[in-house]
Amino acid sequence: MDMRRHDVSPEDQVRYLRRGNYARVTAADRPGVAQPVPEREVPAQPWGRILLGTVIGFALLLGTWEWHWRAFGVRPAYRNDSGLWAIQRRRIDNGEGNATVLVGSSRMFMDLQLDVWQKLDGERPIQLSWEGTTSLPFLEDLAADPRFTGRVIVGVAPELFFSGYGFHKDSIKYYQKQSPSQRIGQWLSMHLIEPFWAFDDDDYALATVIERQPWWPDRPGKPNRLHVRRLNVSGPDRATQLWNKVGSDQDYRVLASRVWMQDFVPSDDDPKPEAAAKTRDEQIDRAAKAVAKLRARGVKVLFVRPPSAGPYLEYDLRLYPRASSWDTLLAKSGAPGIYFSDYPELSRDWYLPEWSHMQVGDARRFTANLHAIVVRNFWKPDSAK
Amino acid sequence: MVFNSLTFVAFFALVLVVHNLPLAWTWRKVNLLLASYLFYSAWNPPFVILLWISTVVDWYAAQGLVKARRESARHAWMLLSVIANLGMLGYFKYGTFLLDNFAAVLHAAGVAYQPAPYDIVLPVGISFYTFATLSYTLDVYLRRALPAENFLDYALFVTFFPHLVAGPIMRPTELVPQFEQPRRANADQLRFGLALMTLGLFNKVVLADSFLAPVAEHVYDANKIPGALDAWAATLAFSGQIFCDFAGYSTTAIGAALCLGFAMPDNFRFPYAAVGFSDFWRRWHITLSSWLRDYLYIPLGGNRHGERRTYAALMTTMLLGGLWHGASWTFVAWGGLHGAYLAVERFLRRRFAGYKPGALALVLLGLLTYALVNVTWVFFRAKTFDKAWLMLRGMAGANAQAKPILESFYLISVAVIVGGLLFAHWFMRARTLEGVVARAHPAAIGAVWALLAFAIVIAQGSGASFIYFQF
Repeated sequence: MDMRRHDVSPEDQVRYLRRGNYARVTAADRPGVAQPVPEREVPAQPWGRILLGTVIGFALLLGTWEWHWRAFGVRPAYRNDSGLWAIQRRRIDNGEGNATVLVGSSRMFMDLQLDVWQKLDGERPIQLSWEGTTSLPFLEDLAADPRFTGRVIVGVAPELFFSGYGFHKDSIKYYQKQSPSQRIGQWLSMHLIEPFWAFDDDDYALATVIERQPWWPDRPGKPNRLHVRRLNVSGPDRATQLWNKVGSDQDYRVLASRVWMQDFVPSDDDPKPEAAAKTRDEQIDRAAKAVAKLRARGVKVLFVRPPSAGPYLEYDLRLYPRASSWDTLLAKSGAPGIYFSDYPELSRDWYLPEWSHMQVGDARRFTANLHAIVVRNFWKPDSAK
Repeated sequence: MVFNSLTFVAFFALVLVVHNLPLAWTWRKVNLLLASYLFYSAWNPPFVILLWISTVVDWYAAQGLVKARRESARHAWMLLSVIANLGMLGYFKYGTFLLDNFAAVLHAAGVAYQPAPYDIVLPVGISFYTFATLSYTLDVYLRRALPAENFLDYALFVTFFPHLVAGPIMRPTELVPQFEQPRRANADQLRFGLALMTLGLFNKVVLADSFLAPVAEHVYDANKIPGALDAWAATLAFSGQIFCDFAGYSTTAIGAALCLGFAMPDNFRFPYAAVGFSDFWRRWHITLSSWLRDYLYIPLGGNRHGERRTYAALMTTMLLGGLWHGASWTFVAWGGLHGAYLAVERFLRRRFAGYKPGALALVLLGLLTYALVNVTWVFFRAKTFDKAWLMLRGMAGANAQAKPILESFYLISVAVIVGGLLFAHWFMRARTLEGVVARAHPAAIGAVWALLAFAIVIAQGSGASFIYFQF
């Protein structure tokens, strides 16, 4: 390619460099001319030896990091992120539209064991619950998808469902717009990284680990807040259980409980009672609309309020008394529901280490008991499809 | 696909292997071209068609320019290229903006008009590759260059994946000649290229995404009233985030190209050590600022037609430069502020022509420049003018009802990272990275490289897009 006017005289180049104290001429120093082929020098260094040292140093650092987290009790698991959720959501698009789908918050996510349900029911549910979020956007997403014609169990965690707190609702957009690159990356991660590396979890990301160190001073007016720690372990189809460390490690359990306790005391960020009541009613109305849409095409909807205990249960009931929340939800939506305390087999003395989620053994028994109630009272075998 | 993704790691490894196979140069270029299309279509396959349109239109426009005998025919070919490229950009990027503003004008005139939803997805990097292809026809039109002789070389110039979606915005004269001769990186170029990629990804994944972005989000995206400390911390964090994000991308792109044996130009020269705004724009996003200078400011008259015309050209260039970044009036305001800064600086430089700052004055003027640049970042980051005013009032300490927003960890991390960034920029002000690396001890280079790579992996980035992809 011919370049007719790219030459800037050496004097001009020196002038430009001196004027701006620049170390190298760039297009910024050559106005109004064709820009020449750039030159990139490689610093004179023994790059072969440097690369070797880098690889060894990197391997040692990474090995130490992995060892540290394994010593903490972490084992490789699948990352519970939007990519993993999108794979499950896509099952509805790919021929499993008549499946049983679970949407809910962390209790539905961890307390309902897919393999137990599968053994009793004959089919494995699609787990679309998300921890720390209201299930309503996901129920609405299903309602808007005519391909979904199956059954849906909607987990209700009062402080999330009726407050409308939507932590993971972006996952719906992610699933709708997931690029080929993201899909390939998801596949590579699930086959080359996640099954082998324990440290690969949001809880052990560099910034998170540094942020959680105890040395940060409290800022006046903005004391440090404890953030939710890792509580669950997920499989490739989002079959999830409470991490056994929560139950078996006293310090970890106390820490997890302290995280919840921060919410139990009133704060300036809490909405005013009238605003909270308005939001609650809006959530109920939205849920009723979604249920109507689903039932209009034959989808069976069942609300489930899984157990909480101790101070968490007191908090749930104080914030959203049953009559104005759960009972209203069922009345307005017309859908049936299972409130754990209405059934002795669901309200037995479960072990909820941090008052909110069951250890895996209890979760398995809870799932079996819940399934029995569902079949006995709501969804007779072969009634849905 | 984004550089900070597993998909790119696998893709790049494959491209490198094929590029180094004993194949004819043409086939290796075909490999790069196909890989570049794959790189682009990994976002949204249909948008590759836009790339093809842009490529083909400008190829034929340049051919037509050379063959045209009359000046009017040359104008027509040039206009075809400009209209096709800017038309595409306008349709995809500014359609909603134009429609909304049209409706607002009608509304102000008392005409109730509700446009139909304009649900168009913005093709990633469209602003970058339309500017790259435009520079091809414009250079031919301005008789700065002859068209490429080989369509493959030209198509590869447009599409070459390291610069395709977020620059550096390459000129044809910078890249096309590199495709004319067989190129393959030697071992040291490959290793240094990998080191540059590590440095770029560290900037993006660790500094920008892991530490700085959350601080800006906590304040800019929250429905809270910030005080001076929070507003400044968030804005300083964003200043660091956008530099680390964008310079990180450019460094990774330069490294990736070097691994393949190609040279790409600097896009940043430690801009936060700039003293004055003309200096800033010769250090920040150099390939865009020089593009705007060569194809907009100079054709508008530049500084050749008196003071008034110069100021007008300056403001027009910066306002349009702001609009290039995003279809929103806040970006226009950002560009307008920079235009005003440049105009004031020009006036002061002429008024105090003999003034030579001493060392202390230089540092103070540098800090003043950085502070004023931060004021412009408010308009760049805020999604609305209301939010921008709220932030500016906060930065001025004028938000009476402000309550603390950021915990101490965020404040301290901003102070450490942005402070370190400023120090690094001042240290590197008249140096190049290559010069500093050449003088460093090899063991230190290896240790830093290993630490950066380790930090990237344990930062566990979510593959977040680079900020400039949206432009």
